[in-house]
Amino acid sequence: MNEKPTLEIIAPTVEEALTQGLAQLGLPAEAVSLEVLDAGTKGLFGLGGRQVRVRLTIKSDDDDEIAAPASAPYSKAATEKSSKIQKKKKSKQKAKGSATKEKGTPAGILNLVEETVSKLLFHMNMQAQISAEYAESDREGRKTIHVDIRGEDLSGLIGRRSETLNAFQYIASLMVGKEVEQWVHLVVDVEGHRSRREDQLRRMANRLSEQVIKTGRRQVLEPMSAGERRIIHIELQEHPAVITESIGADPYRKVSIIPKDS
Amino acid sequence: MKALVEYIAKLLVDHPDQVEVHEIQSDNHVRLELSVAKDDMGRVIGKKGRVANSIRALLRVAAERDGKQATLDVTEPR
Repeated sequence: MNEKPTLEIIAPTVEEALTQGLAQLGLPAEAVSLEVLDAGTKGLFGLGGRQVRVRLTIKSDDDDEIAAPASAPYSKAATEKSSKIQKKKKSKQKAKGSATKEKGTPAGILNLVEETVSKLLFHMNMQAQISAEYAESDREGRKTIHVDIRGEDLSGLIGRRSETLNAFQYIASLMVGKEVEQWVHLVVDVEGHRSRREDQLRRMANRLSEQVIKTGRRQVLEPMSAGERRIIHIELQEHPAVITESIGADPYRKVSIIPKDS
Repeated sequence: MKALVEYIAKLLVDHPDQVEVHEIQSDNHVRLELSVAKDDMGRVIGKKGRVANSIRALLRVAAERDGKQATLDVTEPR
């Protein structure tokens, strides 16, 4: 046939490009050769920044039958006819599957989230690595998307009491939600900051509830955001001896831990 | 900074083509004026200004990185 089947992939890193490419082709790493066309600009993501561009060339012993890059792993053994049919199917699937871009599909939304977050960071002059994934769905069956941002010098993104990070999370959720026409719940974390804070809040909740039991008097915590208060409420909701409630008005709303039999 | 506000606003509104951001520089201070279509005002301001305030928070981070201060005003379309 004509030239060797190749596939060009653009991604933040060479590894990611390779992984993506292999996934698209459905081939193991040994079956292709990798050529880096553009090493990209380090750390710069998305818009304006140059990503890595690689070309995967499918190695083949008996060449011929593996044709378009979109066609697939199985075609090798197939006869020409069936391979053509398969090719068609595959490319259709691919059109759908590049649904990475398609709105509404889980993969599409994840991609959009990563793109939106990286562009925001880019415009804020920050360099970072981003990964997004679905968390376990919560009770109401809503799916939360966790976005993890890693990089150096990102403390400015967190801000005092995570205020800036919450703003970032809110804006990113709105932008993605607008695009896919449904509310998308994002939790954005920087360098594990939120999960550390979560542990800290849980420990504090348990420590203070012991005090409440000992003294028989309520304890009022410092003002917290809705998300942080929620962590405390959930941590103590099955506690046998205390109940929790939120008092006051935002932004000074705080959790109060109360002995149950009062 | 202007690009940041523009990028956010355009993805929040129904009429991205009517999003305009003016940048007014003076010394260390950058004043940004965001104007959007009338029926998009609510989208960029939000309940109790929550959206606008969040944009301001992000803007502040971006400005600090340049050693500057920035303010954002949302203005009616002319």
